[in-house]
Amino acid sequence: MTTATGDERLDETFAALANATRRAILARLAEGEATVNELAKPFDMTLPAISKHIKVLERAGLVRRGQRAQYRPCALDGTAIEEVSTWAEQYRPVWEARFDRMDDYLAQLAPQRKADEHDD
Amino acid sequence: MTDDNGSQDAVVIERSFDAPVELIWQMWTDPEHVKAWYGPNGVSIPVAKMDVRVGGSRLVCMEVQTPDGPMQMWFTGEYREVVKHERLVYTESMSDENGNVQSPSDLGMPEGHPTTTEVRVQLEDLGGRTKMVMTHAGVPSDSPGAAGWVMALDKLAAHIETHGDR
Repeated sequence: MTTATGDERLDETFAALANATRRAILARLAEGEATVNELAKPFDMTLPAISKHIKVLERAGLVRRGQRAQYRPCALDGTAIEEVSTWAEQYRPVWEARFDRMDDYLAQLAPQRKADEHDD
Repeated sequence: MTDDNGSQDAVVIERSFDAPVELIWQMWTDPEHVKAWYGPNGVSIPVAKMDVRVGGSRLVCMEVQTPDGPMQMWFTGEYREVVKHERLVYTESMSDENGNVQSPSDLGMPEGHPTTTEVRVQLEDLGGRTKMVMTHAGVPSDSPGAAGWVMALDKLAAHIETHGDR
């Protein structure tokens, strides 16, 4: 994969998704890997045109291709999308629980605070 | 400053507390207060070093009792923004007890967990009450805006290089 800045690659990912043919290719690959020939079948497009779409998806990190001879089957790589929605969401309940405890702790401190204010 | 991080790879939690902003600030910056709420039941915080100034470091230890004895997890980080009673930003990474950063996967964390994350706390004084917005996001090295996407794409690139010959 060529080196690009994070923003450039993010642009590529979204640009790759902003095309009906490429989304259809992804939908097909969601069912299992396929060769370029198989991917081309449902579309009224030439092989080079389909190949071009696949290259875009590949560069965006949404599709990976095997290295086996000229077949080089394509497969969906969902990692890019799955991972962005997972680690952060794993943290949500951790933080929610922390802030619940902070609330309880503040309630415990409240009588103390009132007493302090009284002393002033 | 609003959160202009366009990535979904962040936790954003908004809460209001029935306490003045000064006290909520202390909840985040005074180790004794932090110990009271940071860890869940059964988890103690034996160490909470917090040098709360820009560039200052933090080191927090969470200790869990297990049948095999106490298990410790260490977290280190650096304060990036410190605006008293208003805004606190610090990074967080898993580390050893000396604050040497360790990669999450080496420590058995799930795939895709970024090495460094950033916690942003924005406080608003509501007159005796406080509104707090906490954002916890991944920190890519070269682009704060792209967060988890960058991380995932980096991993993906590595994954393709490793497994591309299947």
